[in-house]
Amino acid sequence: MRFFSFYRGYAVKMINIPLKQFFLFDPLSLFFLSVIFVVSLPAAVYSVGYLRGGYSSAKITLSWFLFFVFILSMALVVTVSNALVFLVFWEIMSLVSYFLVVFDTNHERSVQAGMIYIVMTHIGTAFLTAAFLLMYKHANSFDFLAIKNACQTMPAQTRNIIFILLLIGFGTKAGIVPLHLWLPYAHPQAPSHISSLMSGVMIKTAIYGLIRFVMFILGVDSSWWGILILILAVISCLVGVIYALMEHDLKRLLAYHSVENIGIILLGVGLAMFFLSVNMPYLAVFSLIAGLYHLINHAIFKGLLFLCAGSVYKAAGTRDIEKLGGLIKKMPQTAVCFLIGAMAISALPPLNGFVSEWLTLQAFFLGAANAAGGAKLFLGLCAAMLALTSGLAAACFVKAFGITFLAQPRSRYAENAREVSLSMKAGMFFLAALTIVFGLAAAGIMKLLAKAAGAATGIDTGSMSFSLNNFILSPQVSRNTYLSTPLLALALAALGIAGFGIYMAFGRQKAIACKTWDCGYYKLSPRNEYTATAFSKPLRIAFSFFLLPYRKTRKIRESFYLVKSFTYETHTTQVFKKYIYDPALALVLKSAKSLRRMQPGSIHLYIGYIFITVLLLIIFMRKF
Amino acid sequence: MQGMILLGILVSTCLMVIAKRMPSLIRSFRLQSFCLFLATFIIALGEHRPDLYIVAGLLFALKVLLIPHLLYRIIKKINTNEDLGLFINPQLSLLLILVFTYLSWVFTVYFIAPGDQTQISTLSIAFLIVLAGIFLMIFRMTALAQIIGLLVMENGLFLLAATVSGGMPFFVEIAIFFDIFVSVIIMGFFVYRINKFFTHIDVNKLSRLKG
Amino acid sequence: MMKIAVIILQLVLFIVFAPFLSGLIAKIKNNVRMRRGPSVFQPYYNLAKLFSKGQAVSETASWIFKVTPFVVFSSMFAAAMFIPVFIFSTSAHYLGDFLAVIFIFSLGRFFLALAALDTGSSFGGMGSSREMFISSLAEPVFCLVIFTLFLQFGSTDIAAFSGIHPLSASSVVAATALFLVTIAETSRIPVDNQETHLELTMIHEAMVLEYSGRSLALLEMAAYVKQMIFFFLVAQIIFPIAAPGLSGLIPSVLWILWYSARIIIVAALAALVEISVAKMRLFRVADFLGFAFILGIIAVVCAILGV
Repeated sequence: MRFFSFYRGYAVKMINIPLKQFFLFDPLSLFFLSVIFVVSLPAAVYSVGYLRGGYSSAKITLSWFLFFVFILSMALVVTVSNALVFLVFWEIMSLVSYFLVVFDTNHERSVQAGMIYIVMTHIGTAFLTAAFLLMYKHANSFDFLAIKNACQTMPAQTRNIIFILLLIGFGTKAGIVPLHLWLPYAHPQAPSHISSLMSGVMIKTAIYGLIRFVMFILGVDSSWWGILILILAVISCLVGVIYALMEHDLKRLLAYHSVENIGIILLGVGLAMFFLSVNMPYLAVFSLIAGLYHLINHAIFKGLLFLCAGSVYKAAGTRDIEKLGGLIKKMPQTAVCFLIGAMAISALPPLNGFVSEWLTLQAFFLGAANAAGGAKLFLGLCAAMLALTSGLAAACFVKAFGITFLAQPRSRYAENAREVSLSMKAGMFFLAALTIVFGLAAAGIMKLLAKAAGAATGIDTGSMSFSLNNFILSPQVSRNTYLSTPLLALALAALGIAGFGIYMAFGRQKAIACKTWDCGYYKLSPRNEYTATAFSKPLRIAFSFFLLPYRKTRKIRESFYLVKSFTYETHTTQVFKKYIYDPALALVLKSAKSLRRMQPGSIHLYIGYIFITVLLLIIFMRKF
Repeated sequence: MQGMILLGILVSTCLMVIAKRMPSLIRSFRLQSFCLFLATFIIALGEHRPDLYIVAGLLFALKVLLIPHLLYRIIKKINTNEDLGLFINPQLSLLLILVFTYLSWVFTVYFIAPGDQTQISTLSIAFLIVLAGIFLMIFRMTALAQIIGLLVMENGLFLLAATVSGGMPFFVEIAIFFDIFVSVIIMGFFVYRINKFFTHIDVNKLSRLKG
Repeated sequence: MMKIAVIILQLVLFIVFAPFLSGLIAKIKNNVRMRRGPSVFQPYYNLAKLFSKGQAVSETASWIFKVTPFVVFSSMFAAAMFIPVFIFSTSAHYLGDFLAVIFIFSLGRFFLALAALDTGSSFGGMGSSREMFISSLAEPVFCLVIFTLFLQFGSTDIAAFSGIHPLSASSVVAATALFLVTIAETSRIPVDNQETHLELTMIHEAMVLEYSGRSLALLEMAAYVKQMIFFFLVAQIIFPIAAPGLSGLIPSVLWILWYSARIIIVAALAALVEISVAKMRLFRVADFLGFAFILGIIAVVCAILGV
C-alpha cells in the first residue's frame, strides 16, 4: 500500500508499506488457522437454517456480515507478526463478538451478558497492552522476531512481570479460573452457531497468544511459570466440571465444560513450559502435542455440542433440560450427533477426546519418570485430578444427554419438538464425522502436530517420532506402551458382533413391548422420571464444601395439619461471584459515586474547567 | 490596510460578545469571517500563492455564506424565541473582553516576543478571538452559542496559523474546512433534536439530566 | 494368527470361569452365615435360564436400550483382552495400555447409565446417578494406582508388572487401594449390595432393573467378567507369578493350581469383607473412596522413596 503525503501542495514522498512483513505463517499459525476454519464452516452452514424464521432478513444480513468479520479477525489474530496489529485485531475480535452476543437485543439477559463480557475482555486487553508496551520498551519494535531477539537479554524481573501480565490478559479471554465469570453468561446468550465459534475457536486464540508470546517470544526459563499454569489449570478443570454438574441450562452446562477443557489444554501447555525450563525437549514437545491435540479436539466436539444444543433450543423452545425429554424419538439425528459429542467429551474410546486425554496422562507419567521426588508426587496428583475431571465430565454428560433426550417428554415444549432442517443437520454431521476421524487417525495427526509444536518451542522435531506406524501411537518406544484407536475400534466392533452372535445363537426369541415395569407401578407418567437436580444430588453433597448449597422451602397450609402446597428450591452459591466479583464491583461503584460530586452537570462549568486547565498549563509550563 | 482589517476583526468580536439575540450573533460572526477573508485575500494577492486563493475562496464560501445560512435555517426550524440566554449582561461582557484584550497583548509581548509591531497586534488579536470563542461557550446558555463559539475559536486559530507560519499545509486546511462544515451540520441536527425533545435549547437546563 | 487364537482362547476362558467366581463368593458367604445356599454353579444355571426366556422391552425405551447390552459386553471383553493370562505381553498390548482400560470401562458404564435413564423409571435414574457418582470418585484412585505401578515398573503396560517382582510396601498399599476400588466398581458391600432390590440400597441392580431375557444375560456376564478382571489385577500385584514354563506335567499342574489359587484368595477376601461390614450410606462412599485416595498417595510416596 502506498500513501502520498502532501506538504504545501507538493507530493513530497511516497511511503511504501509492504504488507508481507506483517504476517507469519509458521506451522503453529497454520494449525490455529485450520482450527478456525474447521469449526467455522459447519457453523456457517448451520446458521442458514438456524436464523431462518427467527429474525428479520435485515438482521440476518447483519449477522452474516458480523460473522465474516469475526472469522476474518480471528484468522488475522493468529497470523500477524506485529504486536500492535495483533492488538488491533484482538480488539476487533472482541468488539464483533460483543455485537454477536447481544444479537438478541430483546432479551434482557443478552444485554446483561454482553455488558459483563465486554467489561471483562477489555480488562484483559488492558493487561495485554501493558505487557506489549513493556516489551516494546525493551525491544524498540513491535515485530515478533525483533522482540524475540531482544527478550533474550531481558532482566529476569521484567520477564516475570511480562509473564504475569500476559497470563492475566490471555487468561481473561481463555476463561481460566478465577477470570472465567463472563463465560457462563456470554456463551449461552449468543446465537448457537456463534456460541460454538466462541467456545470452540475464540477462547483458543487466547491459548495461541499464550503459546506464541510466552513460549516462542519470551522463552521459558523459570520452572515456576509452568507450575503456576499447571495449578491454575487443575483448578479450572475441577471448578469448571463441578459447576457444570449443577447446571440445568443446556448451554450454560456446555459453557462451564469449556472452562474445564481449557484447563485440560493448559495442563498440556503448562507441562510443556515446565519441561522447556528444565531442558527436556522431547517431553516438552510431547506435552505440547497433547495440549494442541486436545485443543483441536475440543474445538470440534464443543462446536458440535453447541450446534446440537442450538438445534434442541430451536426445536423445543427452551434450554432448560428439566423441561425436555424424549427428544431421541422426535429428533433422532440430532440425538445421534449429541451422543457422539457427549462420548467424545467424556473421553470414551475410540473417539478423539479419549486420545488427547490419554496423551496428556502419558505426558504426566513420562514427566514423572524423569523428575525429582516432590515433582513426581505433584505430577501424579495432577494426573489423578485429570482422571477425576474426566469421570465427572462423563457423569455430567450422562445427565445432559439422558435427561434431554431419553425417556418421556417432561413438558409441552418437548412434546412439540420436531427434527431440524437439513442445513443444521449437515453442520452437525460434519463435525460428528470429524470427531470420529480425529480419533481414528491419531497417528497421522500427531505427525502434523509435531511440526506445530516444534515451531512453537523452537525445537527441531524432525527426528522425533511419536508413533510406531500409521495406526499405533507410542510415546516412548522403550517403555512398551502403545495405543491404537483404529485397532481398538475394530476390536470393540468385533466383540460387539460376537456378543450379538451369542445373543442370536440360541434361536430367535420373542420380545414383547410393554410399559416400563418400575417395580410394578403401572401409572407411570413423566413425573416419575428422574430430574436433573436429583441426578446431580450425590455430587452436590459430595462437593458441598465448595458449592455451598442452600435451600428455600415454603409451605402453604390450610390448617396446621393440612399442607396445601410445598415449594422446595435448592440453589448453589456462586462462590466466585459472591466473594470476588461482587465486592470488587461494589468498591468501584462506591468510588465512582464519591467522584460524582465533582460533576454538577452544567456544560458551561465543564468548558470553564477545560479552559482554566489549559491556561494554567500554558502559564506554568513555559517550555513548550 | 492590515490595520484596518484588524480593527474590523476587533469590532466584530465586540459586537459578537454584546449580542443579545441569535440573529445578531450570526451577523457579527459573518462580519468577522468576512474581515478574515479580506486579510487572506490580500496576502494571497501579495504573495501570488495559488493555494491561498483557494483557501480564501473556501473561507468566503463556507464561513461567510454557507454556515451562517445553515444557522439561520436552524433558528427558523426551531421556532423558539431567539433570545440568547446571557449569564453576564452585555456591558459586563464588553468589559471582560477589554480585559481579555489587555491580557492577550501582555501574553504576546512578554511570552512570545515576536518582533515587529504588526505581528504583535495580529497575534494578540488572534488570541483574543480564541478567548472570545471560549467566552461565548461558557457564558451563553443556548446550544447555538456553543456552535458559534467553536467556529470563532477556529477563526482565531486560522489567523494565528496564518501569522506565525504563513498558513498551515494545504491539505490540512482543506481537511479542517471540511471538518468544520460537517460538524456544523451535525451540531445543527443535534440542536434540532434537543429542541424537539426538551422544547428548548437552553443547555443550562440539561444539568437536570444528571444521574 | 497364533496371537489372535491366543486372545480368543483367553476370552473364552474368561467367559467360562467368571460366573464360577461369583458363585464361589456367594458360597463362601453362605457358609460363614451357616446356611447351605445355592450351589457354586448357580450363576451358570441363571444364565442358561435367562437365555431361554423372552424379553419384555419398555415402550418408552429407544435404540440405546437395545444396543447397550452389546456395547457393555464388548467393552468388558475388550478390557479383558489386555489382561495377560497365559503369556505375558499379549499382542493386544499394541491396542492400548492400563490407562486405556480405565476409559474402556468408562465406555461401558456410560452406556449402561444412559440405558437406565432411557426407560423413564425412577429406579433407573437412581441407579445411574449413584453409579456415575461412585465411579467418578473411584477414577482418581485407579489413576494413582497405575501411577504407582508405573513408577515402580517403568511402564503403564499391564505386562510390565506381570511376572516375578519383589513385594514392596508401595505394591501392597497400591493393591489395598485397588482392592477398595474393586469393591466400589464391582458393586460389593460396603458400597452396593448385589442381593437386594430395594430402592434405597441398589445401584448396579437398579440400572439393569428393566432388562430381561438374553439382554440381561449379556449384562450379567459382563459384570462377572469385570469382577474377574479386577480380582486378577489385585492378585497380580500382590501374588506375582512366574511365566509358565510348561516343562513337565507336575510343574504345569502346580502352576495352574497356584494361578487359580491367587484369584480365589482375593475373591475369598472380598467375600469376607462383604460379610463383616454393613453397607454404607451412599454419601459415605465419598469418604470411603477418599480414604482409598489417601492410600493411593501413600503408595506413590512409597514408590518415590523406593520402599
